[in-house]
This record gives sequence, structure tokens and C-alpha cells, in this order.
Amino acid sequence: MKTSTGLVLFLGLAGGLLAFGVRGSLNGSGTDLALQFPKSGTSLGTDADVVPAKPADQPPAIATIAAPPPAAIAAPGQAETLAVPASTGPQVDETALRYFARQGDTKRLEAEIARLQALYPSWTPPADPLAVKPQPDGKLDAMWKLYSEGKYAEVRKAIAERQTADPKWQVPQDLLDRVALGESRQRLANASDLEQFATVIKIATDNASLLTCGDVDVLWRVAEAFASTGKADRAKDAYTYVLKNCKDPAERLATAQKASVVLAPREFEGLLALGGKDTSGQDEFQSLRDDLVRRTVGAAATDPSLTVAPEDVARMEELARASNLASDDSLLGWYYIGLESYEKAAQWFSQARAREDNADTAQGYALALIALGEPGKAEEIVYPWREASDNVRAVYLAAVANLLAVKPQPELDPQVLERIVPVVVQARDVPSAQQLGWYARGFNQFTTAAQWFQTALSWKADDEPSAYGLAITLQQLGRRTDVAEIKRLWKGRSQRIAELGERQPRTTIIPDPNVHQPSVDTSIETSDTGLPSRPAVRRDPQVRHDGGVPPNAALPGAAKPRPMAAPEIDPAPTRSIRRGVQVAQSGDADVGCGTTDASARASPRAALRRGWCLMDLNRPVEAVQAFELALNGGDAKARSDAAFGQALAYLRNERTDEAAIAAVKAPLSRERSITVQSAILSQRAAAFYEAGRYSETLQALDQRAAIAADRSDLMVLRGYAYFKLGRRADARRVFEALAAFGDREGLKGLGVLYQGNGSR
Amino acid sequence: MKRIALAAAALLLVSGLAQAREPTVMAGDWAAYRAKFLQPEGRIVDDANGNISHSEGQGYGMLLAYLAGSRADFDIIWAFTRNEMLLRDDGLVAWKWDPNATPRVTDPNNATDGDILIAYALALAGKEWANADYSTAALDLIQAIREAAVVEAQGREILLPGVNGFKVADRPDDGPVINPSYWIFEAFPVFARLDEGGGWDRLSRDGLAWLRQTRFGPRKLPVDWVSVRGRPVPAAGFPAEFGYNAVRIPLYLVRAGVKDVALIKGLGQGMSDGGDVVTSDIRTGNSKDRLADAGYRIIPALAACIADGTPVPAELRRFAPTNYYPSTLHLLSLSYLAQNKGAC
Repeated sequence: MKTSTGLVLFLGLAGGLLAFGVRGSLNGSGTDLALQFPKSGTSLGTDADVVPAKPADQPPAIATIAAPPPAAIAAPGQAETLAVPASTGPQVDETALRYFARQGDTKRLEAEIARLQALYPSWTPPADPLAVKPQPDGKLDAMWKLYSEGKYAEVRKAIAERQTADPKWQVPQDLLDRVALGESRQRLANASDLEQFATVIKIATDNASLLTCGDVDVLWRVAEAFASTGKADRAKDAYTYVLKNCKDPAERLATAQKASVVLAPREFEGLLALGGKDTSGQDEFQSLRDDLVRRTVGAAATDPSLTVAPEDVARMEELARASNLASDDSLLGWYYIGLESYEKAAQWFSQARAREDNADTAQGYALALIALGEPGKAEEIVYPWREASDNVRAVYLAAVANLLAVKPQPELDPQVLERIVPVVVQARDVPSAQQLGWYARGFNQFTTAAQWFQTALSWKADDEPSAYGLAITLQQLGRRTDVAEIKRLWKGRSQRIAELGERQPRTTIIPDPNVHQPSVDTSIETSDTGLPSRPAVRRDPQVRHDGGVPPNAALPGAAKPRPMAAPEIDPAPTRSIRRGVQVAQSGDADVGCGTTDASARASPRAALRRGWCLMDLNRPVEAVQAFELALNGGDAKARSDAAFGQALAYLRNERTDEAAIAAVKAPLSRERSITVQSAILSQRAAAFYEAGRYSETLQALDQRAAIAADRSDLMVLRGYAYFKLGRRADARRVFEALAAFGDREGLKGLGVLYQGNGSR
Repeated sequence: MKRIALAAAALLLVSGLAQAREPTVMAGDWAAYRAKFLQPEGRIVDDANGNISHSEGQGYGMLLAYLAGSRADFDIIWAFTRNEMLLRDDGLVAWKWDPNATPRVTDPNNATDGDILIAYALALAGKEWANADYSTAALDLIQAIREAAVVEAQGREILLPGVNGFKVADRPDDGPVINPSYWIFEAFPVFARLDEGGGWDRLSRDGLAWLRQTRFGPRKLPVDWVSVRGRPVPAAGFPAEFGYNAVRIPLYLVRAGVKDVALIKGLGQGMSDGGDVVTSDIRTGNSKDRLADAGYRIIPALAACIADGTPVPAELRRFAPTNYYPSTLHLLSLSYLAQNKGAC
């Protein structure tokens, strides 16, 4: 042991000690790899120890187990199997040689010659192996044939049978050893397939001559067994052996690839140093070096505390420019995100996106753009990928919140707003809802703003900024009772809410004349369904209980002049606001609408204007009165407008019967008539449903369907009405139709149906 | 381990000088069995179970080849067993080899009776044919069995039927579960010779004690799978029956020379029904499958012969292979008769 000059690693295996590593040979012929990976000129330890001995003293313990199984016979010049110099003149067993020669198996013949030459340097192959005339031995030939076909069991059987029949017959040891080795090879592969790694290592340990360049697969399996049993350093030894000794380029590359998975980057880098040049003078492992650079940069992208050598970054950028892989560009994008170098990140993501748009790239690009103050672009880029994962959605919502918070406030394209709202509602994203509130305030849409703040609070009751936003908005709307309620709820938790209204004069609420004022009239008539934004029917039994906001909360009323849509919020909080309106009548009744009863009285047109203004502030009770004034004094056009307005105001109050009366106070255009009638029928259907009158619900819906296009929320209502009436097939048909469009309520409805089935 | 292996080698050196024993499985019978169930690559095919092979079959095959004095067949069956199935890290044999699966072994669990049969056959063959490789492999396997598959329950030793799936940890409600037919009693004295101090006599004694305690129902027969959590009861999830497993128990007792004649007689009577062997429901005693193969019917006949001296009928002494399992039991029975000439 003291003569070892190299690294010797010991493995405790099955009671024996196995060295696994490199050591110097004694005869000064150079340093060789011993033991597990024997090489020509080295002695081989048995299963007990690894004491190097002088070759001449070393008994050729497994010297005759020299060749790999037939499939793995090394090509000439590649015989790195072990060889032990014989101490006396060679007694060379040429049986196999002669057999292969007679079979005309040139490949195996050459391999056998190479093998014997390695084993017995003083031996010279017969000039003509066929000229050698041995005793013809047909039975032995048959055994060799079985052997060369890998039929080891049958060789064994033939041997045993012959021994029984002819006790004097001596089986060639070479044949026995080769069969045993071939079997061990199979057994090792079987154990490896079954992931019995201790068995793999034991077999390899007991059969070191399996570990040759002629059968790299075995070396890989052994390396895998080491790696899988927590012995990465031994796995590295195995890979090192291949790269130091074996020549096949494809196997070398595959070896390095396998090592790259198993080894830590630094260990792996050391291994790459064993690479040579390929035929074109290139580093044979350049592709792996590049992958290593990718791994390194990628690791730094997820863990910014890791530093990457400048040359690696440079190489990565070179790779990204040279390749067509969007993933390379993205990798750099993420790397620079980690470094907070957002401009560079954006450049790389932009390039990645030009090559291939995908969720990962869009997400990274959007993050960079948000950081660079371009949330609008970010929103646009990531919108198509928002459903890809929770992370992507989070980035999208961040873009939305940032976009809405931009100062000075931009007027967003209605299309953008329309697509933002459902995502916010579905994700119940508090920051975005809150920002929608502030955004609405920015356009003096106080009612809408209040609803968004309310919505944010319904998702997160302790969101102080939303509560503050709600409080100041209600303050502006003159709903003192509601403001007082908020103050009470937030007592001791928010200074600014507590101080609200105490020092600030309310002059700040006068709308900015530069901001485009929405035209209420248009907002109603251009709504997609031809319906006023409110009241919309929501009678989803499931949502109603959890007090949440329905997924279809974004109303389609975001017509062009109207900057944004309001969320449809829970009945309960809405009602409390309405109650506040009624109480506050005698107070700041003119807030936001800028006219007085007196002026309205003087001019029906002013009254009409005031009615619509109050409608926009969601003060329908006052609006009813304003429209009444307009009805009483106006011309036919004004009266028609007023009747329409009053009908809508009653509808918003859910005073359906009075809405029906108002609608006939003056002739309405056909379009408006249908708008009002269908809204009345919607409300009636909803009221019937709430009252448990399901047949009448269906009647109202049928009547409505006769004059207006169906809406998904009403279809949901219809589905549940069927359900309640036990018309399950009809209910299923309705819900399936909804579900076919991806409507969540439809899916929920189906769920309710199936639950109903299960509970029976 | 080294020391014991050396001892084993010394043992067989001595025995190697002894007179070769006479085959107790007749050459013609073995040839017929081999032709039907042994593939050229060395696997015994269970033709009633989708032509799979398993460690039990390999063990039986090795034992029968040994009893037939066929070293060549023994060698290939063993080689197949070792190379294809003796793969587990703990040194036990993967129980199932399926020609239609990739890899052939898909379930690494063992079957302890298979391990015992293989180790037993190896030990016998190593001694008989003075083969140190067999003896070393036998000892490795014997020690692996002791290490991984023998545990205590209620102060007695049990054989886990498999390393996975039968322990208390695997069956929190009724584990451990045993299979009384996994005690191949004739093997344990042979194990004890190779593995002195391995406690094999105790496992043998405890096995008999469990067997006496697991005779249930009107027929007083053991159930195939027994929970020994408390008082032995039929294990949950298995049919509560005296089935194809337990049917071989009397054969094992007879072959091992167990002296409890009353036990052997009782089992033989309990499993007989109008000249046939039947599997039966443990609780009601109602018969289930009627097993008419000579390989089954010879078992109660052997028991009756041991108990009362009733000769085994001549028709049962003729071997003609049917299916793998009864054919195997048949040859083991005939081997007993051949070895004990004049006993029955």
C-alpha cells in the first residue's frame, strides 16, 4: 500500500475492500488506472485488497478473464482490457482464435488477436490461423458458437453434459471465464434496469474486467450506480476513466453528457479538460462547455447571489446571437433581471420574442418593462399568456396595477380596460381593483370608483388604501352615513380615514373640465346588449353565499366615451350605499351634478341633464324625481328621454312595477322600449327566482328571450330554475351550452347537477 | 462471513469424498418435466400463470434437478436465476420474471419461499457436487434471508412472505402477515449446517408452533395467509381459504420427517374430499376448487401412508406432467417415496 503513488479510494463492499482510483504502477512504466478500470500493464486486485505487487510476483488472478463479452469485444488498437505479463513463457489458448478464423468472423478474429497480444506480448499470432490444424473438436466448436450467440446457459449445459459423459474432458478455462463474464454483464445490466445499485457495484467490483472501453455502457451503468448511491466522486472516476482511455467520439461525448447531469458544474468542468480536438480542430466538448455556460448563467438567473465570470457572460451572449434559440436570449434576459439591469433584460427578451413568443419570454419581458416604467406595453405583451401559470398571471396583474397607477393618468383604450377587468375579477386581485378605483376617480366616475374600492375590500377587508379610497369617494358623493360607518370600522387603524372631511374643504371634488365627461345617454345605448349597465341580474346560488364577486362582474358597458367599466358588486354592500343615498338626500344633493332643484324646475332639459347625472352617481331615487320634473315640462323628445330615464332609475332601485309604469309615460323608441322591457323581465325573472317561483321565472325569461338576445347570466338563472323544478335534462342542456363557451357559471352549474346526482 | 464461507468450503471438501447419492427423481420423470417446463435459457415456466417464471419455480426446478442428479440442468436453472433474478441489493431474489415485460423483472419484491428453495437447492448441490460457488451462493442467500425476512412476532420468529408488504409497518391494521406454507421445513437443518448459529432450528420450531395454531374451521386446516398481530386469524384482503398455497404443507412436513403424525394425518384428512383434494372456505369448510391432478392427490395419500401405513396407490406413483405446480408437487412426493423405499 505504501507504494501507491496515486489516489486510492476504498470502497467497503460486501466485506471486501475495493480500491477505486488511480495509482502508480511499480515497474515504472507509467501511471495507470487500476482496479475497477484496469488497463494494460497494471495488475488487478482481487476482491480482498489492492496491494500492488511486482508484476512478476503477481499471480494472474483474473488474468484470463480478459475479453469482454462478444458484443463488447474491443476493436484492434483499443484493447484497454487488463493484461498481466506472464512470468513464464506464454501458454496461449488459441481455441477461440481458431474458431473465429474458421467461422470467417474477421472482426472477432482481429479482436482476439489484439487481446492475446495484449495479454502475451511475446506471443505472435499464427500467420494463417486457418492453417493451424488443431484436433477437430466439433463439440467445443458448438460451445463457442453458443457463446458467440450469447447463449450462456446453453454453453453451461453443454459443458456440464460433456463433463458428465466424459469425466476426463477438460473444459477450456477461457471458455468458462468468458461465459461467466458474459453472464455477469447481463446480470449487471438487469440489476441496473431494476435500480438495484448496490448489486450493480458489487458485480462490477467482482468483475473488474467488465470495465473496458469495449463496453462503455457497463461503465455508464456503474457510474450511474455510484451517482445514485451518493458517491459522485466514484461516478466521476468512471467518467474520467472513459475520457482518459476510450476513443470512440460518440461514446466520449455521451459520457461527458452523462457526467454533466451527475456532477456539480465545477467537477464537470474539470472533466471537460480531458476533451481533445475533433477532426475539424474544435474542442470535442464545445457543445457541452456551452451547455455548462448556460447552466451557470441560468443558475445565476434564479439565484442572483451567484456570480458569473465575465467570459461566461460574453460566451453566453455570443451563443445567443449565434443561435436561433429564443431560450438563449431569454436566459440572458432572466440573468439581467436578476442583476436588475432591466434595459439589457428588455433587449434580450425583445430579441427572444422576435424568435419565439412564449409565456416565459413574455413574462420576463413584461417584468423588465414594468421596471422600466412601461406597464402599458407590458400589459399588452403578457395579456395573451396570462393563463399560462400563476406566475404569469401575477406579472400580468402587476402590469395592470402599474398601468392604472401611471401619473398623469392616461386614458386607456376601452378595449384594454375591457380585457383587464375580467382578469382582475377572476384573480380577485386587490391591488388592481384598488387601482381601478383610483383610475375611475381620476375620471370623476365616483360611483364606479366606490364600487371598485368596495370590491377590493370584499376581497381583502383590511386593505386600508381601498378603504380610504372608498371613504373619500363616498365623502364626495355626500354619503355621510356610509363615511361615518367606514370611520367607525377603521377607528384606531387609519389616521387618514379618521381625519377625513375634518380639515379638507370639499371643493376638490369639482370635476376637472379638461377631462372628458362621459355622456350617460350614450353609455346606456351603446352597451353591447342594448341594456343599461345596471341592474344586471345575478342570481347565482353559489356565489351568493360566499359573498364574492361574480366572475362576469365586468359589465360590457365600456363604450368608447366611457373610460371604464364598473365591477358588479355584491348586493349587500350596494344596498348599504343606496340606503346612504336616500338618507343623504337633504345633504349634498348637488355633489357632482352641479345643478339645483330650482334650476331643474326652470328647465326640463336641465332636469333631464340632472337626472342622468344623478344616475351616473348612482343616486336613482333622486334621479326619479329629476326625470319626473323633465316629464312634466319638456317637449316630446325630452319627455321620451325622461320616461326612459325614470324607467331605468326605477329599475336600478329594483322597483320593477314602477319602472313598467314609467316606461309608458311617454312613447319610447322601439330600441329603448325593448331595452326597458327586457330589463324589466330580467328583474322579474330574478325576483321570481328569489321568491321560489321557478315556473314564473322561466315564463319571464321566455318573454324576454322573445324580444332580446339571451345573456349568459340569464341563462344561468334559467338553468337553476330548471334545476329547481327537477328538469335536470333541461338544466344540463343549458349549463352544457354555457360550459361549451368556457363559462365558469355553466361549469359550476354542471357541478351542482352532478353533486345532486351523487347525493341521491 | 468470510470465516463461514471458508468453513463451508472445508465442509464440502470432506463431503466431496462421500459416495454420490442415487437420484430420487427418476430420469424419465425429470425428462418429461424438463421438456414441459424448462426453457433452454434455464427458466421454469409456470404454464398456469401466463408463462411467467418466479423464484419459487426456479427453486423447485433447481431442487428437482438436484434430486434427479442432473447437474447440467441444475446449472442452467441456477445461472438463469442468478443472472436474471438474483438482483436485489439485499441479496434476495426478485420474485417474478415476465417474458412480456420490459425489463423482465418489474417488481423488485422477493418471495421468501422462493429464496429458501433456491438457497436449499444450492446448499445441497454445493455439497453433493463439491462446488464451492454453489455453497458460497447458498450461504449468501441464507444470510440474506435471515437478515431481511425473519422477524419476531409475539415472542416467536416468523418468515415474512416478502420483504415488502407484510410487516407491521406495511399493514398497520393486521400486520405482520405470514404464509404457513413458506416454511420449507426440510431446508432449515441444511441451512443450519452451512450457517451455524443462524437460529434455523428455532425458526423451524416456531413455524410448527404457528402451524398448530393456525388450524381453523370445521376442517381444521391452515389458511393461506394469516395475520399474527394477535391470536392468528385469516388476513384481511386475502381469500380466507385453505388454498393452493397451503395444499403443499403436509408434503413439506412429510419430506422434512416431522414426527407429529397427528398433525399430518389431520391435514391430510381435512384436505380430502371423495378421493380428490379440495381447497375450502376456512370458516364454513365448504369445498371450493376440486383438484384432481395426481400431483395434488398424492399429498393426502402420503399423509395417510405416514399416519396409518396405507400404501400410496399405484396410479399416483406414475408421473405424467400436467401443470407446473401439481407436477412439481408430484415429483417432490415421488422423490420422497423413492428415498424411503419400503416406508409406504
